[in-house]
Amino acid sequence: MSKEAIFKKLSEAVFEGEDDLVLEAAEAAITEGVDPTEAIIEGLAAGMSKVGEYYEKQKYFLPEVIISAETFKKGISVLEPHLSKDMDTLGTVLMGTVQGDVHDIGKNIVIIMLSASGFTVIDLGKDVKPQVFVDKIKEVGKIDIVGMSALMTTSMIGMREVIETLKQEGLRDKVKIMVGGAPVSPRYAEEIGADGYANDAVDGVRVAKKLVGAQ
Amino acid sequence: MNGKEAITRILRHETVSRPGWIPFAGIHAGKLKGYNATEVYSDEDKLFESLMEVNKVYNPDGQVLLFDLQLEAEILGCEIVWTKNNPPCVTGSPLEETDEIPTRMISKSDGRLPMVINAARRMKKAVGDKTALYGLLCGPFTLATHLRGTKFFRQLRKDPDYVRKLLAYTTEIALQMCQLYLDEGVDVIVPVDPVVSQISMDHFETYLSEPYKRIFERIRVHNAFSSFFVCGNATHIIELMCKSGPDSISIDENVNMAEAKKITDRYNVVIGGNIPLTTIMLFGTQMDNMKATIDLIDRLGDCTKNVIIAPGCDMPYDTPIENTIAASHAVLQTEKAREMVANYELSDIGVEVELPDYERLKKPLVEAFLLDPLACAACTYMLAVAMDAQKHFGDKIEVVEYRYNNLTDISRTKKMAVKQLPSLYINGKLQYSSLIPNLDDLIREVEEVM
Repeated sequence: MSKEAIFKKLSEAVFEGEDDLVLEAAEAAITEGVDPTEAIIEGLAAGMSKVGEYYEKQKYFLPEVIISAETFKKGISVLEPHLSKDMDTLGTVLMGTVQGDVHDIGKNIVIIMLSASGFTVIDLGKDVKPQVFVDKIKEVGKIDIVGMSALMTTSMIGMREVIETLKQEGLRDKVKIMVGGAPVSPRYAEEIGADGYANDAVDGVRVAKKLVGAQ
Repeated sequence: MNGKEAITRILRHETVSRPGWIPFAGIHAGKLKGYNATEVYSDEDKLFESLMEVNKVYNPDGQVLLFDLQLEAEILGCEIVWTKNNPPCVTGSPLEETDEIPTRMISKSDGRLPMVINAARRMKKAVGDKTALYGLLCGPFTLATHLRGTKFFRQLRKDPDYVRKLLAYTTEIALQMCQLYLDEGVDVIVPVDPVVSQISMDHFETYLSEPYKRIFERIRVHNAFSSFFVCGNATHIIELMCKSGPDSISIDENVNMAEAKKITDRYNVVIGGNIPLTTIMLFGTQMDNMKATIDLIDRLGDCTKNVIIAPGCDMPYDTPIENTIAASHAVLQTEKAREMVANYELSDIGVEVELPDYERLKKPLVEAFLLDPLACAACTYMLAVAMDAQKHFGDKIEVVEYRYNNLTDISRTKKMAVKQLPSLYINGKLQYSSLIPNLDDLIREVEEVM
């Protein structure tokens, strides 16, 4: 199978949410000696990107996005062990749903989309206390973007607390901050001093790229 | 025509003089009495007290008993987390690791249902003749996701058989909840299914059209009204929602209500919504709320049939009370509110007013700053308690009212830097903002400055 045919198969498998097909195509990529980074970007990520477009146009909905995201992960699990250690990354993003909020479907989709687009993502999970963001930044050393999500109007107030905590710890200027989630608005993002607001997962990738100067 | 009559006529698709008004004060009801979300949703007396305060201050045509989509999930074994300022939320799903379809049905003694039933009875007795009561239940799709977890979304495509079986079960639970409300004489029964906005038209038709037809038909044969609440961008399924046969639907700010109304009008279904919850109700000012509500009414065009104005969804706990008062005023007295908004914009060129010399008053001065006591319920009560204090003290105190409908009083309101209406000042100091004091407290406070 040609390189292009493998990319096409990977992309289609993700778009259609076909696990068997993605595993088959990813194995073929390894067997045929295709660069795994290229297979991820040109194959899996391209498929995920199309999913994003369809979601924006309301041709795809949450079930389709979740299925494709899972297929994407399966493809990654085959290709990842073959990646060279010094693979270029667009930047490291620290993601979490803020304290008091346990809704993480949206955040998880953003993570998939960011990973598919070349970012390294560290997932802090849900109901994350401000100090946990701080501790992780200190532990990792270099974080480019802190991404925060909230689904509820009350919990989104926690975003401000994270930003205040980062300021107190002298870390605010060392990272960019992006926020998103159902109740969050561009006005609120500006008000709390975030650097970017993303309307959805596709927009999240655009904003993240802008924040690291990759666009 | 009282509020209940207004809602009844609207839901019968008759022509009325104004749109209906339903403030979705779920947990926010507790804020009016100083109770947190957990208290108001787990203590019958606190719930009742809070609902009565909503009825008094917001002057609703219809009101929700509680806006808690976890009620059934909690009974059916979901793990629930309680917080102070949010409704409880599901953190663990009993069917996450098993494909079994539950058989357990609910009974009226389960979970917090006795509290709901008793609160419904007390509200029915207290305000049931003038206010339409809305009984909310968790829609079958959202309940299925509570029980199964995120996996359920995946199964819509991968395992239709399982999806149908689980939805058949959750539909039976929904029908039980309908019956519970029907037994209590609740006026409008409302399946709330926020996550249906996240599925395609195909999936809605395949899985949900029939269950919803059954639910709305059941409500109709028992001579009650129905409404279908959804959250998020449900633009693509508005027509399918109408086709499932509810008397009304309610949408949030993610849907263009004027466009959606064109569809609901075709099906002769009432549309409710969609004052923005966060940007306007939670973070906006009183005037923002009045203006946003008037703008919404204007955008909708003809509001004399099939229209209810309501917040987009369950109001945030901390929504400033004066913001809801403003929205209420804009719906119930649209033309007067329109003048106020115009005056507000003009008030920079207001007239010069002189404030009293508060340090040298001859007797205590109680000043009531109001929107319009004839039209705004909260203002009526605020003025009434001030006048009762006047009666109590006779000529030992002076009580003055200012109405936000003429430039002189508007200028005074601004010069005093009154942030919220209605407010009560004693000797130039703010004592009560939006919340109405009881007479004993007010008397005590006046005595302190005598």
